[in-house]
Amino acid sequence: MRKGTRLRLVLRDLGSGSAFASMAVSGQLPLWSLVLYGVALVVALAGRRPFANRVKLTALLLLAVALTLGTNVLAGSLNLVVAACAFAGLISAQRLLSTPDAATDGQVHLSGLLMVAGGAALSGELVYGLFLIVFGVLASIALALGVVESAVPEGEPVPVRAVMGPLAMGVGFAVVGAVAFFILFPRLNWNMIGPGASPGLGVATAGFSNTVRLGGAGTIKDNPRIVLRATLTPDPEKETLDAYWVGRTYDVFDGMEWSNARATSNGSEFMTTLRPGQENLVHQHVELMPAYGARTLVALETPSRLGNAVANTQVGSRRTQIHELGGGEVRFRDSGISYSYEAYSLPPGASGDDVQDLPPEEQDSLLSLPEGLDVRVGQTAARVLNGERDPLAAARKLSAWLQREYSYTLELSGDVPDPVADFLFQRKQGHCEHFATALTLMLRTQGMRARLATGFFGGERVTGGYVVRAGDAHAWTHVLVPGRGFITVDATPPAHRASQSPRLLEQLINFYEVVESQWRDVVLDYNFRDQLTVVRSLTRSHEVPKKDAPPSRAPPPRAFGAALLAAAAAYTAWRLLTQFLSRERPLEATRFADAVEAQLASARITRVDGETLEALDARLARERHPLSPALTPVTRRYLEARFGGRPLQQGEATRLLTDLRRAVLTESQRVASEGTRPPQARAS
Amino acid sequence: MTPRLPSWWARVRSRLRPPRTLKVTRIGRTYLVVTFGVGLGALNTGNNLLYLLLGLLLSMVVVSGVLSERCLRYLSVRRVGADAAFAQEPFAFRWAISRGQGHAFALTLSEADSPLTGAGGVGYLPAGVDHVVRADLTAPQRGPVRLTGVRVTTTWPLGLFAKTRTFPLESTLLIYPRRTYACQDPGAPEQGPVGDAGNPRRNDGNGDLSGLRELAPGEDARRIHWMKSASAGKLLRVEREHEERRTFVLTVADGLDAEALERRCEEVAALARRLIEEGHEVGLDTPEERIRPAAGAAQERRLLRALAWLGYERPRGDEEAA
Repeated sequence: MRKGTRLRLVLRDLGSGSAFASMAVSGQLPLWSLVLYGVALVVALAGRRPFANRVKLTALLLLAVALTLGTNVLAGSLNLVVAACAFAGLISAQRLLSTPDAATDGQVHLSGLLMVAGGAALSGELVYGLFLIVFGVLASIALALGVVESAVPEGEPVPVRAVMGPLAMGVGFAVVGAVAFFILFPRLNWNMIGPGASPGLGVATAGFSNTVRLGGAGTIKDNPRIVLRATLTPDPEKETLDAYWVGRTYDVFDGMEWSNARATSNGSEFMTTLRPGQENLVHQHVELMPAYGARTLVALETPSRLGNAVANTQVGSRRTQIHELGGGEVRFRDSGISYSYEAYSLPPGASGDDVQDLPPEEQDSLLSLPEGLDVRVGQTAARVLNGERDPLAAARKLSAWLQREYSYTLELSGDVPDPVADFLFQRKQGHCEHFATALTLMLRTQGMRARLATGFFGGERVTGGYVVRAGDAHAWTHVLVPGRGFITVDATPPAHRASQSPRLLEQLINFYEVVESQWRDVVLDYNFRDQLTVVRSLTRSHEVPKKDAPPSRAPPPRAFGAALLAAAAAYTAWRLLTQFLSRERPLEATRFADAVEAQLASARITRVDGETLEALDARLARERHPLSPALTPVTRRYLEARFGGRPLQQGEATRLLTDLRRAVLTESQRVASEGTRPPQARAS
Repeated sequence: MTPRLPSWWARVRSRLRPPRTLKVTRIGRTYLVVTFGVGLGALNTGNNLLYLLLGLLLSMVVVSGVLSERCLRYLSVRRVGADAAFAQEPFAFRWAISRGQGHAFALTLSEADSPLTGAGGVGYLPAGVDHVVRADLTAPQRGPVRLTGVRVTTTWPLGLFAKTRTFPLESTLLIYPRRTYACQDPGAPEQGPVGDAGNPRRNDGNGDLSGLRELAPGEDARRIHWMKSASAGKLLRVEREHEERRTFVLTVADGLDAEALERRCEEVAALARRLIEEGHEVGLDTPEERIRPAAGAAQERRLLRALAWLGYERPRGDEEAA
């Protein structure tokens, strides 16, 4: 293997790997295809080609895999696009492990092209764009090295360094051209169908379930993945929102875990109203990301209305209904990878609920205590409250006491028989669920209605909206204040309410989120309206007119530039069209002669076998046939076009044939009027 | 009559539309099919990522055209030629190519519009270097081959398209008859061995001096080297090498059809080569010319050239071909 060839093959293989990765980031490819391709790529990068002598066998295996995939598609267990992408990956893997000749190289690159196209259909991830660029660069270099290598005589080295400069320039121009094409090519379909949602890589960790069990590990607080993205109206324009995003509440505690007294489901609808709204509701457009992984809708405390939900699946997006469950939970009826919906919440403060508004079973459960609750809980609460009977003031007093006397930790001892007593009297440290549970139960021991609420706390501003991380998962207490409704009181120390993930990691993810937001706005959601905006920005002046000067009606210089470009494009198109229409057609003269002979046949001019058109014309001229004057110029022109190097001009054949047809018609009418047979041409 | 265009406009036109031919390679065809499919998918689904990919694919096509055009500019080509070209066997042919500015990649050189098959390549051509490109060309049959130009093709940068520029260079390459084995006997020589071989009294050679030996009884006294004999005190005679050089005149009869003429030319060329290698003098008698017998490589070249031109109209002066 000569110098440069090894590098070319490595670049080729890495390019193929990038193409496969552009599909793999969607998280939809079957695991076995990921494993097979990964093994093939590693083996190929190691320089081994075990399929070099087993082409037929591996082709048969591919056929078998294709049949299996097809069967799965027909059975409905596999998406067609996913199956096609997986098969493209396997074809590429088979080619990677085959003898690296010119044909194989081409097949590897073309299968890579198919894979990036498949990746575009599978996901809209920002990472896809990165892999697309990596594939473009690596495949271009490998192709260019292959082209040069094929021209270098045997034994001479491939000039790798010399290739790089011009090629880098070319790839740079290609990227610029691609961007220009992307911006300017008209979106004829108004972008009605976007890319299907993809689960992406990583496990979804929302933490919502029908129960909350104390004693579990708090590792979710370390997770920086973004689970929720929201745009608020009116926009608070704060860098840190520090708001409670409630998912559901719990009212029954059995000593170990929280649940709900009422678990019935209402009917499904597209918009549900939890509590009457007011005029100053906070509107939220919420997107639940694939990392969320649950079907519970989340909204700012306190939600009023929820609905207009859309579930994004691998095959597209569709509107979905929602239904209300116990604990104020609202769930999507259909499952999807990600969701978007509208939510309206009451402004911060009280919920306005009255205890009589609640279902009877919930009214009772707000004061229920688990059997066998440690009596020290109530005693401690009474001691701390010291006679305070106002629910809100009592809750705040207990909250302040808990924050002062107890510390926050994510390291727990696991399941214990009485986690509340363990938290309050043994370990004296816990996480948000312990703080919230302790506060709720302590309030209840004093006859004050309260419940546990779970959801998220936080909200970081990113490109005009707010994002919430998995680590922002939180639990707090709702205290029912007569006349005001439920009011949020959080016993968890403020420093530990939001995500506990490393700051650097959060910053990196924030950066990624900003870039991805731009990617979504500029690339994925780019549509015809955006194109019109671009055109307007090119043609309209942005200068602010001077106060005294009359408004100028002249277009800006870039409008002339745009017009010049459009004119150049139109001129080029016209020239190309003209050249296409006036191109030399090798058989045009023959077709012309055929048309002439067809007209002569319609005039019943008999011809002897093998008599050429010029011989026929000469004979008719000798016989003074009436058609001779019309036929002579046609024949002469045919001979010039066929043998004289003077092709027929555009429209000339039609004109000559029209003249001849007119003469044939005149002759036919004359013969008909005379009632005689038309003169028969004789062979000379 | 078309109005004459201004010279500047002609220059612009020639710069914008240089005489090039473009051919889509095999991988290029598949690339275009995939591009078409991606475009169809983009239009059908409205997937912006497919639009982005489509833009990249189309841009690569444009960039490919621009870079290949840059490769073919500022080139100058001349023929170095071949030593001897025989029909139906590869012969070394050389071109010298240089570039005024910039660099070129993956150039393939071949003869345009000629029956010669084969091409030579250069992977990288920097500016200002006179690079000699060697190719093994093959001609199908003997005779003069009119060379009209040198075709320089590049598939740079991605191998999707093969763009060709033809440099007009008029010349003629003379292809000698195919080298085969001479099966037929050359026939009787016109002259026997030159010298005294036929005389029994002079049965030694008449070639170069090979030595001296004592004169035997009955030997020709004219072979005595008198000075050496005087100094040696006995009769010493000169010994010379025997020469068996004969003179053959090979003929190509008139009135042969094309195939028979080809076969006869190949036979005569093979015979001539064999006889000249054996040291004989060989001449040629054809309907068009007669070459006097002579020996040596130059005579072989004369015979081959005469055979190559046989049946073709020879240009005035019979200039040496490329």
